[in-house]
Amino acid sequence: MNLQRNLKIFTLAALGIVSTIVWLAVRSTSVQAANESVRSAEKQRIEVVAKVRPSVVAIYARGGQGGGSGVLIDKEGYALTNFHVVQGSGPIMQCGLADGVLYDAVLVGLDKVGDVALIKLLPKADGKLFPFAALGNSDEVREGDWSLAMGNPFLLATDFTPTVTYGLISGVHRYQYPEGTLLEYTDCIQIDTSINPGNSGGPLFNVKGELIGINGRGSFDKRRRINSGVGYAISINQIKNFLGHLHGGLDTDHATLGARVESLSDEILRLSVKEVLDDADVSRRGLQVADELIAFAGRPLTTVNEFKNVLGVFPKDWRLPLVYRHENQRKEVLVRLMGVQPKEVKEDGAEAPKPGPRPAPGQRPPAPLPDSPAKKLYKEKAGFANYHFNELHQSRVWTAFTKHGDFSKTKGNWIFEGELQLKAQSRHAVLTIQEKKGDDGNLQTHALLDIRDVSTYPVEPLKPGLGNDERQSPPGSGGFVIAMYHFRRFLTEGIKGFERNPAYGGVEPFYPYPVDGSLPKTLKDLRVDADVIRTEHGGVAGKWYFDRTQQRLLGFEAFVEEKGDPCELYFADYRAVDGRMLPHRIEVRYGNDRFGVFTVKRYQTTAN
Amino acid sequence: MRWLFVWAISFLLTVSAMAQSPFGKVAQDVNRKLVKLYGSGGYRGLPAYGTGILVSSRGHILTVANHILDTQDLRVHVYDGRRFRAKVVVIEPEFDAALLKIDTGTPEGDKELDLEFFDIAKAAQSPLAQSGDWVLAFSNQFQIATRDEPMTVQRGTIASYTRLHGRRGIFEASFTREVYVTDAIMCNPGAAGGALTTRKGELLGIVGKELRNTLSETWINYAVPVQSKAEFTEDGKSVVRSLADFVDLGMQEKWKPTVREKPKDGPGGYHGIVLVPNVVERTPPFVDGVRPDSPAQKAGLQPDDLIVYVDGEPIGSIKQFIDFIAKTHPGLTIKLEVRRGDKLMTVDLKLDEIPKRK
Repeated sequence: MNLQRNLKIFTLAALGIVSTIVWLAVRSTSVQAANESVRSAEKQRIEVVAKVRPSVVAIYARGGQGGGSGVLIDKEGYALTNFHVVQGSGPIMQCGLADGVLYDAVLVGLDKVGDVALIKLLPKADGKLFPFAALGNSDEVREGDWSLAMGNPFLLATDFTPTVTYGLISGVHRYQYPEGTLLEYTDCIQIDTSINPGNSGGPLFNVKGELIGINGRGSFDKRRRINSGVGYAISINQIKNFLGHLHGGLDTDHATLGARVESLSDEILRLSVKEVLDDADVSRRGLQVADELIAFAGRPLTTVNEFKNVLGVFPKDWRLPLVYRHENQRKEVLVRLMGVQPKEVKEDGAEAPKPGPRPAPGQRPPAPLPDSPAKKLYKEKAGFANYHFNELHQSRVWTAFTKHGDFSKTKGNWIFEGELQLKAQSRHAVLTIQEKKGDDGNLQTHALLDIRDVSTYPVEPLKPGLGNDERQSPPGSGGFVIAMYHFRRFLTEGIKGFERNPAYGGVEPFYPYPVDGSLPKTLKDLRVDADVIRTEHGGVAGKWYFDRTQQRLLGFEAFVEEKGDPCELYFADYRAVDGRMLPHRIEVRYGNDRFGVFTVKRYQTTAN
Repeated sequence: MRWLFVWAISFLLTVSAMAQSPFGKVAQDVNRKLVKLYGSGGYRGLPAYGTGILVSSRGHILTVANHILDTQDLRVHVYDGRRFRAKVVVIEPEFDAALLKIDTGTPEGDKELDLEFFDIAKAAQSPLAQSGDWVLAFSNQFQIATRDEPMTVQRGTIASYTRLHGRRGIFEASFTREVYVTDAIMCNPGAAGGALTTRKGELLGIVGKELRNTLSETWINYAVPVQSKAEFTEDGKSVVRSLADFVDLGMQEKWKPTVREKPKDGPGGYHGIVLVPNVVERTPPFVDGVRPDSPAQKAGLQPDDLIVYVDGEPIGSIKQFIDFIAKTHPGLTIKLEVRRGDKLMTVDLKLDEIPKRK
């Protein structure tokens, strides 16, 4: 009995000791593990900082008046910064890297509304490559994540070595109202990571050292313009949408849908359309007051802030899918976005902005450019940040495109012959484009579409005072004949054959419809990103879309009406004709409908 | 030994999971227990928005006793974007705290709210946080978020636990109890009423107002601890009540708030500045002249000086200056920052009794 009791006590005591030991063991393991995790996190952090440090740029205006920060994003020396940094420095600047070397740099592209600028550093020797930061995916950033901000706060580093600060992501998908008239921060990243004057334009990294944003703004209110615990970075995914435009030397604009919205109810997050602008594309796509917005570009629309966020990350003129509900009917349409900024000054002066008391942001009194090797990479032109880079991309696209066929020797008459599949019927069709000397000795252009058993459609594209019916002929096509005239001209004359404002238009999404005529489940599945060339000729503006790998021409839009839908051509089934690649399937769309498909059986291209 | 191994592995997995998104889950959990408040404000640098902490599933909200509550039209946005009206249940100046209630109109409506909330009584039982402890601050500062957008999250450490010495404008803050002071810059516009938590999201305190330190003139970042206690007089006897008691009794509508005399607008001190005629709504406060032997003359103010700040508050119009002076009293020294030509200069003005008309 006694023994048994002793045994029990002993067992209990032993259990107690064992459990204490186990507890201590667990505790020390956990402390060790925790120490280890802190140490390894610190080691990781130091390694990441060391890795990204060479990509951080200190930007100075020439003459040392002001500056900011930036980050290199490729080996060629292209770097991102804020518009408000280069606004102070002008198009030629100097940049210091962590290696202590000062480089000459030139402005490449501008996104004034988004407060982003692309600059290019000039290597010290031809062909020398730059260190750069890898672009991350800012849609994967979550509040509560760690982040690293780097740059040159208070411009304190005289040897260009960047300052690093570390903190939390305080919020994502934030909307911040425009400061002044521009500089709207949409869908931005909020951080408590300390950023101060001079950090502007510098990188925000995730813990892996991937670039997730460009630091540029804070909330200050009563406090002075120094870190207030609330900073904002422009998300890198927004910048990715503009990157093609920025590389192309454009002075880009942001977008609006052309509709005002309001929250529908207190209980459920729903957005209702309050007003639609008459000349907005979305109005022609059928959106009406009181319709409910559901999603844009694949993102659900729930609140007014979210609406502004979702719209705010895209450039003007991009075409993106909108899902909305009209009288219990769900609809998906492709919308061409309108611009945010007031229209550029037109030559006829119709939309010239009234002179304000102060120069608009970005417009500085013209100062002589400083003497810098970067000067030869700068070309001023209205509407562009730096036309030199636009010309580079025009020739890049054109050179790659002409590898598919050189039509410069076929400036004579062209004949397209084949089957035109209209809505209900298929008809034999012949399109002839010819140029001949008129009685007055001037060159006259005649285009003629002959649809058998239907009608013939003659158009003189360059005749002064051409009526709208003729311009948009045949009816329902939006101007198929004129569009084909432009197509021939583009192939034979090239970009230079368009007298007004030929330009590289950056990168835009393009949506070729399935060749079998089926309807896609969602329009975004059709999206292909394309290089765009813009042209204008005979009062018709055009946009040419090239695939970005082979620079094959995917399609063309002819804006025959000034304020209206273009005639859209989609090119497919490329086959060689006399050694030159030509599309044998041309789909014609106008507005919300498909006009027809022209299956070309025979091309006749003649030399002049 | 085997379970030890399993345990160690699971611990390491937890650590590595934490490393991936350290506070994402905590932020989401805390955010569900916070509300955005919209009420009175929008003038004199006072925001018309704030933050509140849910303390019951039926929509009771604990927040800072604040000017935004001074309205008949108090609105609340909960984490999932639903919008409600709210009413003030009771305000207790000793804790600088207010208890609000989402107004659904019916008990069934209250029940349907079914909100996640912080258990104040439980939180008040934990020990006080120590200096050097890691903390997170959640609030809707600067009104960055609306509807279903999550609150701002910031991280910092407890710098100290100490008595509050703050002022707002020219008034000393009436609340002077022990508070947590943090190194996180959290007491921004609209942050008052937010949550200070541990790194695990356990409630430590209520984020405070925008106050300046009376000693250093710097902005203070502080939070009122959930463990706060105060002495009250009930039926002639002195009793100690906690913030948790305030919430508990307040929800039962049994809390009797301390009645304090409201600081009245002072009669206004005499400065002797003659301003330019107040012709438009926002006439800038330019000095037109100074009366002889007045404080303004002694301080050396001159015609054409532009008053920019008074006691650190930006003054944009003559009306703002007059409003400010109305709250002062003779004997008070105010600090004026004036622009003279290109220079900014600071003058101290000791206000006098308003001279009697002769």
